[in-house]
Amino acid sequence: MKDNNTILRKVLAGAVGMSIILSACTDLNTEEKDSVVINTAGGKFEGDPTSLLSSVYADLGALTDQANVYALYEQTTDEMLPPTRGVDWGDNGVWRTLHQHTWDPTHQQILDSWNQLNQRAFKCNQILASNPSDAQAAEAKFMRAFFMFYVMDLYGQVPFRNVDEGVDVNPKVMTRSEAFDFIVNDLNEALPNLSVRGPSADNGKASKASANFLLAKLYLNKAVYKSSVAEGPYTFDKADMDKVIGYVDAITADGYSLEPQYFDNFRTIASKELIFTSPSGTAQNRIYMTLHYDQNPSGWNGFTTVADFYAKFEDSDTRKHGESIAPLGKNFYGIKRGFLIGQQYKDDGTPLTDSRTQKPLVFTPDVPLSGAATNKGIRVIKYHPADQGKYIFFRYADAYLMKAEAIMRGGSSGQTALQLVNNLRAVRGASALGTVDATAMLDERGRELYWEGVRRTDQIRFGTFTSTWAEKTVTEPFRVLFPIPQQALDSNPNLAPNPGY
Amino acid sequence: MTKFYLYVSRYLTVLLFLITTIAWSQSTVTGKVTASDDGSGLPGVNIIEKGTSNGTVTDANGSFTITVPGNAVLVFSFVGYTSQEVSVENRTSVNVSLSSDVTALSEVVVIGYGQIDKKDATGALVSLKPGDFNGGVIASPEQLIQGRAAGVQITSASGEPGAGVNMRIRGTSSVRSGNNPLFVVDGVPLSGDDVSPGSMNGALGDSPPKNPLNFINPNDIASIDILKDASATAIYGSRGANGVVIITTKSGKSGAGNIEYSYNLGFGHITKKMDLLNRDEFISAYTQFNGAAAAATLDKGASTDWQNQVLRTSVTNSHNLSFGGADATGNFRISLGYQNQEGIIKHSGMKRYTALLKGSKKFLNDRLTLSTQVTVADVHDDNVPITNNSGFEGDLFGSALKSNPTAPVYNPDGTLYQPSNTEPNPVAYLNLSRSFTNTLRSLGNVSAELQIIKGLTFKTVFGFDRSFSSRKTAFSRDLKANNGIYGIGRAYLNDIEVSNNLWENYFTYNKELSSSVKFTGLLGYSYQSFSNTRRDIQLANFRTSNLDLMINNLASIDPAKISMTGNSSSVKDELQSYYGRFDFTISDKYIVTATLRADGSTKFGGNNKYGYFPSAAIKWRASEEAFIPEAFSDLNVRLGYGVTGNQEIPHNLYQERQRYNTSNFNTGGTLDQADIGSVSFKNSDLKWESTAQINIGIDYGFFDNRLRGSIDYYHKNTSDLLIQVISAQPAPQPFTYTNLNANVINKGVELALEGDVVNNGDFKWTIVGNVAINKNRVQNFNGLLNTGQINGQGLSGAFAQRIANNQPLYAWFLRDFSGFDENGISVYNGGDFQKFLNGKSPLPTTNAGLTNNLRYKNFDLSIFFSGQFGQYIYNNTANAYFTAGSLANGRNVTKNVVGNGESNLNAPDVSTRFLENGSFVRLQNLTLGYNIPTTNTFIKSLRVSVTGQNLLTFTDYSGQDPEVNVNKALNNVPSLGIDYAGYPRARTITFGVNATF
Repeated sequence: MKDNNTILRKVLAGAVGMSIILSACTDLNTEEKDSVVINTAGGKFEGDPTSLLSSVYADLGALTDQANVYALYEQTTDEMLPPTRGVDWGDNGVWRTLHQHTWDPTHQQILDSWNQLNQRAFKCNQILASNPSDAQAAEAKFMRAFFMFYVMDLYGQVPFRNVDEGVDVNPKVMTRSEAFDFIVNDLNEALPNLSVRGPSADNGKASKASANFLLAKLYLNKAVYKSSVAEGPYTFDKADMDKVIGYVDAITADGYSLEPQYFDNFRTIASKELIFTSPSGTAQNRIYMTLHYDQNPSGWNGFTTVADFYAKFEDSDTRKHGESIAPLGKNFYGIKRGFLIGQQYKDDGTPLTDSRTQKPLVFTPDVPLSGAATNKGIRVIKYHPADQGKYIFFRYADAYLMKAEAIMRGGSSGQTALQLVNNLRAVRGASALGTVDATAMLDERGRELYWEGVRRTDQIRFGTFTSTWAEKTVTEPFRVLFPIPQQALDSNPNLAPNPGY
Repeated sequence: MTKFYLYVSRYLTVLLFLITTIAWSQSTVTGKVTASDDGSGLPGVNIIEKGTSNGTVTDANGSFTITVPGNAVLVFSFVGYTSQEVSVENRTSVNVSLSSDVTALSEVVVIGYGQIDKKDATGALVSLKPGDFNGGVIASPEQLIQGRAAGVQITSASGEPGAGVNMRIRGTSSVRSGNNPLFVVDGVPLSGDDVSPGSMNGALGDSPPKNPLNFINPNDIASIDILKDASATAIYGSRGANGVVIITTKSGKSGAGNIEYSYNLGFGHITKKMDLLNRDEFISAYTQFNGAAAAATLDKGASTDWQNQVLRTSVTNSHNLSFGGADATGNFRISLGYQNQEGIIKHSGMKRYTALLKGSKKFLNDRLTLSTQVTVADVHDDNVPITNNSGFEGDLFGSALKSNPTAPVYNPDGTLYQPSNTEPNPVAYLNLSRSFTNTLRSLGNVSAELQIIKGLTFKTVFGFDRSFSSRKTAFSRDLKANNGIYGIGRAYLNDIEVSNNLWENYFTYNKELSSSVKFTGLLGYSYQSFSNTRRDIQLANFRTSNLDLMINNLASIDPAKISMTGNSSSVKDELQSYYGRFDFTISDKYIVTATLRADGSTKFGGNNKYGYFPSAAIKWRASEEAFIPEAFSDLNVRLGYGVTGNQEIPHNLYQERQRYNTSNFNTGGTLDQADIGSVSFKNSDLKWESTAQINIGIDYGFFDNRLRGSIDYYHKNTSDLLIQVISAQPAPQPFTYTNLNANVINKGVELALEGDVVNNGDFKWTIVGNVAINKNRVQNFNGLLNTGQINGQGLSGAFAQRIANNQPLYAWFLRDFSGFDENGISVYNGGDFQKFLNGKSPLPTTNAGLTNNLRYKNFDLSIFFSGQFGQYIYNNTANAYFTAGSLANGRNVTKNVVGNGESNLNAPDVSTRFLENGSFVRLQNLTLGYNIPTTNTFIKSLRVSVTGQNLLTFTDYSGQDPEVNVNKALNNVPSLGIDYAGYPRARTITFGVNATF
């Protein structure tokens, strides 16, 4: 009996042990308490289109930074220079390589811009898959077109991912030409459901005018985007130029016109030119990135323009030197608008001294790219610290000049290009031109739109982007496209390196 | 079954029960067991009354007490010694001398789910006992064994008390942060997560979390066993790839209860201050750049050594008290510890209270063993604002290096002199900020082991690991430090709660299959859950400058403004495992081991929840063969292969999930509006990282084992590397975790050597040495990953390291500096761009340790040198602060900057100018001890000692210390070997006294 009991106990103990093991299994499913799992099956996205749309607009703030997309459009051109000043602004050479066109596919800002723009375009896909209203869908399509436009313009290849395509799916890639058609189609689909918005101090929302503006820009540059070789030469088609004229006329019909006081465009008041602005991003980085640290407000003592660009302005041109904005003694009185050159002043009107060198703070036209002293280079203020408006993406004067250029390139209109350019110049206090050719047109766009983030596209369209200017030699023709970032190539085999890189 | 809750109180009940059931003997035979070679008392000798289970073990002096009948026979046995039987013959005192058994060379080593004689171990493992440990002021278990084991590299991030520790076994095989080994404490595997929060400090940068192992009182550790190769670690499967460190706490020993008490008093002082300009040298150097007028403006008239303003001589007090006992059926030990460790920077320190309760008891004719262990630790850290990534303004120590030496600490009116946000006063950092962390952590287990039939046992273990940690930080609005603090004040509340549970069940079976074949089998199931809850609150716009009110009266924020923001999270992961191990010992010559573990984890989705990790090893005990010459007292050959894994990635990265992002304060005290955003992205293919490792080893012993050691060669190949990479855009988030299509190869040789140079009665001299050589390469990798963020003025976006094909991990990627041109501008070989530098990396190629243990009568002396060779360090401190441009901007620099030919307009871009050879040899530990002879019946033993730590360092590195690793990760890709004004390292002298009652 005893033996039987012992055996029984042993069997029992073993059985208990085994049953513990076998009954213990968990299915290893997780329960999420601090996040929401989104089901994307069937290409639907279980998100809230209203909050997603507001977040897409809020995301525009990233484009107001002095780095990344803005830098790719400005530091690479003949109107801006990023000097390294001793221990300031070396920043691992990112600025110098942009200015000298010596970037490679590992350039940090080229990668960051790629990521910023594409990530924002994808959020628009999420809105479109989350059962939006017709108006929301139209705004999402405009915003998708807005971001994809930059990707197409900068990189020449545009990847696309549906909302239900996970990490294991390599995004398909559109050529520049395919992307052009895709963007134009998005805008055409969006137009009927976009609202009509006239000029306003707060146009941080897609409208018919903003879609028409982007369409005008697309068709004006269509020859570039459809060119079989990115660096051209480009052949501009009359039909495309007529379209540009039509889109600009549609914007004008919504009530936009040239603002008589140039710098009123950058104030908090309602300018007649503001078509599309950033609703939450501010223009403060445009101020800090250029002002000297001893000025008020104390800046980062960074970017300058160059003597050759400054020399393109007549003294009477109101775009060159604005008036002081605040009364003597008030905060920021020392900062003028336009180009800051020569002796700089405190708010009370007394001359400023550089606190590091104890020498008068005098901005000089000459400025080297490396080893620049703290006072070198002409600074630029369009948004004034005492009265800075919303950050502008689309301004009517740009559309106005696009129409003039389209006429110059063969488009049909009742006006001539010279009339339009001289109309604008008259408003800005500049003397009338006798003729307008490509060089004059590019110069006029520079004078009107300097430091507003359009210069690279203009220089490429006019064929001057790889020519020489201050601290830059003639560069390789393939530089008209940025490289697909190395890490993007590594992440998606459907992307190919751009020619030359 | 997933939920079970165990409370400390239950453990206490069990423990009290165990203690009270140990039966104390009433009548005794006493005696002492000594070693025949030197006559020293042998502790831990097993004494059994032959034919019964009645037994005891000797105490620390070799003494024992046992109750037996007068005709009993006592069996004395001890590993490494020949057993001896002695008849009592009615004596009340029996003294025995044991001779060492050289052929056995026995030492028990702890392996996963059991322990074995070292002679039977097939894997590469190192077992370290208290005699091998570093002494002095020790904050964590890793510091105990730093430099002591071949192939184990231990680097603490800085000299801060309780700083995080990097431990690398056989090189760095993974790219991301999951590179530390798995720690198993008394059978409970710990999660690798931080248990205490790091901190945000406004724009000052981030402070790293402390070492999660600080909760273990080093004095409670009986052994640290390091499993190095895959055949040893594969039983831990997915968590074994970086090695396994098994920590076993002390158990009660000796028949009667022993009280042990120790006290240590330590003094620390900075090893090396930076050689900065004094006020006159500073003004003179500045004048050369900016002229006398500017220098006159800069000269504030004082003469301040800012390093001295923030440094101090630190004092550390520690007390340890333990009480333990054991008999043949059970043992118990209670230990209390207190350590108050000051840092050498004012206001910093770590205070720790620990309690450890451990016991076991046999029941049912010794068939059932119940055991428990509970550790409770209360750790209080006083933190100072020293961060990983401060800007050019400098954190506490950075500003002490660069501050104007002519500036006064205080204004004439007694207030702090604070010129501007960009030139903060280091003393203001100390006086106008406060940060402390309280961490309460408890780790424990209760287990039952039942012998079902002879040879077959079943063991079940419930383990738990609970931690509550809260960090509170306040910066006064009066602190002019950066734009985000002055005028508004800042406070941060960061909490982490961790709750991990373990249920482990396994069968062990021992059987002699024939006279020459022995079999041991292990079969088990394990479930472990890991819960982590965090809460981070930021506050600004305070109405008060009172730091106590800011922390303890949150309503002191301005209600008229948005003054509070934050976020919280809570995640739980599970791991479910099945495992087995089979050992065959054939003719005592051949030992074969095979293991398999299947791990299922919630960290992987859909397609790859389970990973399978096999290993096999064979050992040939050649010295058992007749043809091996007698000169070999021991000769073994080991061969092992195995695959282990790594799953140290964040929670649920395989489903698309969204949550609301944290809104942060702008510099003006207003909030950035943050929206809902994606935190992960559909990724069902994510799978285990795996490492395949081959190990070939030889254990040898000559001249009756007076010279002994081992040589190992290994080759590790890590594939499917888990790493965060750039998402293939367009994507919902910028980064995605993926299994990188690449291999990381580590191969190397480890040599361990131990020799008794002199061994005669009164004098014994033993040399213990280890050398490990490792070579690391990334292979088959088509992409690139940048890391090693470099901070400082004009260094935005700068990085110094790139992971790429055919380079070592974290290879330096820099401009090749060749000097200054005639204008003082940097010239770079090959132009102004970054490149690899012939494989220069922060990974040491060689690690070595050398210990001399000398004993003469009651004196003992231990001298330990450690060294690391072949690694390069990037001196971000010099890059950010010690340049002509920085001097021209009115900031102090080291003396070597003056007259070095650099223009004040030169840009100090990242280059080899700041890359330095980091090789060093260090006199790491020196202990002189004296055992005071005692005949006192109350005090059984008494020892006094003095220990020096970090006494001497031989290095060419110009920074504070070459053992440095400030976290400069970029996009979650970790960095290595970058120095950035980290918490400086101290030289410490500690006086100690130990007594047994």
